[in-house]
Amino acid sequence: MISEANRQWLLKLLTNGFGKSFWWFLAFAIVMGIVCHQLLGPEEFQAALREDLELVTGMLPRVIAALTVAGMVWVLLPRDQFSRLIGKESGFRGLVIATAAGVVTPGGPASAYPLLAVMGGAGADRGALVAYITSWAILGMQRILVWDLPFMGAEFSLMRFLICLPLPILAGLIARWLPLSLSLVEERQPQPLSKGAASDAQSEGERK
Amino acid sequence: MSVGMAIIYGAPIVLASYALSRRDDTFRRGMTRAVEQFAMLVPRMFCALVAAGFVAKLIPTEFISRFLGDEAGITAIFIGTVTGLAIPSGPVVAFSIAATFAKAGAADSALIAFITAWTIFAFHRVIIYEIPLLGVSFLRLRLSSVFLLPILAGLMTMGVTRAWEWVSVS
Repeated sequence: MISEANRQWLLKLLTNGFGKSFWWFLAFAIVMGIVCHQLLGPEEFQAALREDLELVTGMLPRVIAALTVAGMVWVLLPRDQFSRLIGKESGFRGLVIATAAGVVTPGGPASAYPLLAVMGGAGADRGALVAYITSWAILGMQRILVWDLPFMGAEFSLMRFLICLPLPILAGLIARWLPLSLSLVEERQPQPLSKGAASDAQSEGERK
Repeated sequence: MSVGMAIIYGAPIVLASYALSRRDDTFRRGMTRAVEQFAMLVPRMFCALVAAGFVAKLIPTEFISRFLGDEAGITAIFIGTVTGLAIPSGPVVAFSIAATFAKAGAADSALIAFITAWTIFAFHRVIIYEIPLLGVSFLRLRLSSVFLLPILAGLMTMGVTRAWEWVSVS
């Protein structure tokens, strides 16, 4: 027996997942597939398709694990302490902390981006957000250990790490300095998407 | 690999058990959020990854590697950066391309520009994660903040290598 609120929530999930952009991506994938088939022949096309499907099935469990972590961090994180660490007033130290956090965040984009969304929703400063995701992208320890080292060798990996070390902090400083407006998806939703988010806001009110 | 795996699968178990042990609705709220994000991300992820696989096959790696040698200097850094921008897929493809470049004699500066550009811009990540979870205004801020970094990284590498050669010669 599904209640009305649950039914609406499920409907919302479906429309979110299969929105307009989904169909654009699907069309793009099909066009690229046809181009690939015509230019490189059916064998390369099938090989590419097989690799892609293996990649997707291999990723699904990791995505589920990463989203569970992000969801739990979202409800467990002590927001006020956190925003003191990398919030608007955190200064240069906040950028260094965000960079260090990016280096040690394990897992692929499926863990880093949901965590970034959590930080944004918890009031992290824009410079810290940019520094975190840049640091995770260029300096992420897991990628260096699993990919850089075996493919490019130790000397090259170490050189790349040392040369790129200051870049996330630089990016954070630029992000603070740029006069661009920023409205995150998390902040923009005044009426909560779901009962989950509704009780989020409610219990936050209760705590105050 | 096994340590990474242990963290990836251990962390959700530890966090979820802790949330459950609170005996309030913490666990349920966390899971609700996870399920919402899953529904938002996975259909797009499927299409984007399939498309990325095809695009990666279409990039003329061998041809590009001819322009990345040490003698090309700053031009090689630019070409490395642009190639990095164009790779819309994960580390498997990006690093095998980097290895192809390295084998063909690409300069370190061009390789570092390539890897930095790919890690920063990776188009599939932007589409699959960044736009749905953070929004276009964050993407704009981030891209304006980081677009010079790959070239900067390449130039710094070139400077370091030149200085190193100069030191070891004299």
